[in-house]
Amino acid sequence: MKEQDSIPTSKTERSAKFVKTGFKVGGNYIKHYSKKLFNPSLTKDELNLDNATDIYTSLSELKGSALKVAQMLSMDKNILPKAYVDQFSLSQYNAPPLSGPLIVRTFTKYFGKTPSDIFDEFNIKSTNAASIGQVHQASLNGKKLAVKIQYPGVGDSISSDLKMVKPFAFRLLGMSQKELEVYMTEVEDRLLEETDYNLEIRRSIEFSEACKTIDNVVFPTYYPELSSKRIITMDWLEGQHMKEFMRTNPSQELRDKIGQALWDFYNFQQHELRAVHADPHPGNFLITPEGKLGIIDFGCIKEMPEDFYYPFFSLTSTDMLKDKARTIKAFRSLEMIRENDDAAQIEFFYRLYKEMIELFAQPYMSSTFDFSKTEFFDKLYSYGEKISKMPEFKQARGVKHFIYVNRTNFGLYNMLHDLGANVRTDTWYPHVDVAV
Amino acid sequence: MNSAEEIQSAYIDYVLTKGTKPASVYVFAKDNNLTEEEFYNFFGSFDGIEESIWTGLCQKALTEVQNQEIWDQYSSREKTLAFFYALIELLKSKRSFVLYSLKQSGQTIGTPSILKGVKNLFESFASGLVDQGVESGELADRRFLTSKYKDALWIQFGVIVNFWAKDSSAGFEKTDEAIEKGINVTFDLFGKSPLDSLFDYGKFMMNNGGMKPNVKF
Repeated sequence: MKEQDSIPTSKTERSAKFVKTGFKVGGNYIKHYSKKLFNPSLTKDELNLDNATDIYTSLSELKGSALKVAQMLSMDKNILPKAYVDQFSLSQYNAPPLSGPLIVRTFTKYFGKTPSDIFDEFNIKSTNAASIGQVHQASLNGKKLAVKIQYPGVGDSISSDLKMVKPFAFRLLGMSQKELEVYMTEVEDRLLEETDYNLEIRRSIEFSEACKTIDNVVFPTYYPELSSKRIITMDWLEGQHMKEFMRTNPSQELRDKIGQALWDFYNFQQHELRAVHADPHPGNFLITPEGKLGIIDFGCIKEMPEDFYYPFFSLTSTDMLKDKARTIKAFRSLEMIRENDDAAQIEFFYRLYKEMIELFAQPYMSSTFDFSKTEFFDKLYSYGEKISKMPEFKQARGVKHFIYVNRTNFGLYNMLHDLGANVRTDTWYPHVDVAV
Repeated sequence: MNSAEEIQSAYIDYVLTKGTKPASVYVFAKDNNLTEEEFYNFFGSFDGIEESIWTGLCQKALTEVQNQEIWDQYSSREKTLAFFYALIELLKSKRSFVLYSLKQSGQTIGTPSILKGVKNLFESFASGLVDQGVESGELADRRFLTSKYKDALWIQFGVIVNFWAKDSSAGFEKTDEAIEKGINVTFDLFGKSPLDSLFDYGKFMMNNGGMKPNVKF
């Protein structure tokens, strides 16, 4: 892979990048409509693909939090048209690496030694990008290690990056500035946490310890003594990413096993730990040669406070939805229905959110669920499509916790769908005995 | 007091505590139980001490990076980056002196006298890198310009040291970014670019494309 020659890091430079993309996207629309003049049957697919390619090129040159946003957008398959998703998915794998001397520099800064002094072997060319850092292969005492190194200045640039992403998200997702504000703050908080490698290594150790009892899930060992504010050292996990794995035509049995491991991993965290690995994109998982699920990134953790957990999971996992008054009460505490909504609005949002929760809860409704079936996902997408066209949904609705909880669960559903797995969904069940 | 290093540290201690140069070599030598003659065996003047401190730091940075196992695998661009990272790290240990020294030498046009030794050292290092880069094809060989590449790198030296002097970020992380970006830009300009191809194409068309002006040789 070609090494990137420069990273635009100052705000003006970065803005310029975004402006350029804006122009290009604008140009794509002109191209599309002029073509359409001569060929009325032209669908928007080509336009979407053009746009996605340009935005992706621009974002991957930016690195850091912008790339993170690209990854995040690509998670929401139910919001974005397919062409966007295919391009954005690229950002989940590779982005261009930084210069060798800067890696040596980072090591001497935090350990007073060069990587070759510390490790028996250290590959100065990175194997893949980790959105705010890059991963290098190393070995020590015969053990193969993965060393994750963070780019300098990432934390500083996150806020200014997000400010510039806003108009894009606005255009892409058709959300209003005001609506974005609530969520952008939440995203900013999570992203800033992600730049804190000391926190990440602490959590990685905690979570891999807490989750070690789950079947068919493996974690690398972490080495705090070889880690610092900008460096994380862990065991190198052998394995394939989901796409490569699927290309090997795995048996249904194996796919179900991996899918079950994924399901258990997420639901154990949500319901037993009340804090969840909120970055379910395929780049964070490996399928090991032994047919187990390897989990390699705990940068993004979403903690679920009680005032979110109880109303939300009571809706999905009890018969609360049958009781209209209690349902509306729960919608109110989740700010899906607002205090100043009038009777007609209450009825409207009650109906639509009920539909959403019913869809979301469908896998929980029986003891097993076949994620390979497309009907469920078609329903999800068409629901997303439907509400995205409704003017009522142009304003902010729902507490900020939804953004990561939805991302986590829909991300999980999507991965299970990609796996084509049939899983038992009654393994870890929500604890909602406490009355709301 | 019998080595150049000891005189250097006594001098650094003096200027940083007093905020100014000693009144004379006589006073400085006497304070340190030296004769003037002994002083002059090592240095010709106070500026000579400062120059030797700078040159020493620069030389140390060079030796350090050249001894790194990975050095031989680096491209010219990476060698330059590695040198600057090492230099900035070393400067950190003498930051107060460096700031004092830069301030004393003032905003003169051209190279301050205390940096003359550094400049010689750096330029011979840079010339070597440019030769290596041209040979490997990493840098474009441009008539008249190739010999100026090392001057452009010397300008980067000034920019980076001054940036670092003003940097107040934790761990001088901003300086790391300034180095990464600055050196990359410089080497991008040195590399083959569309302009080279354009120039080459223009020359070709002038000679062969029927656009040849009516000139007699």
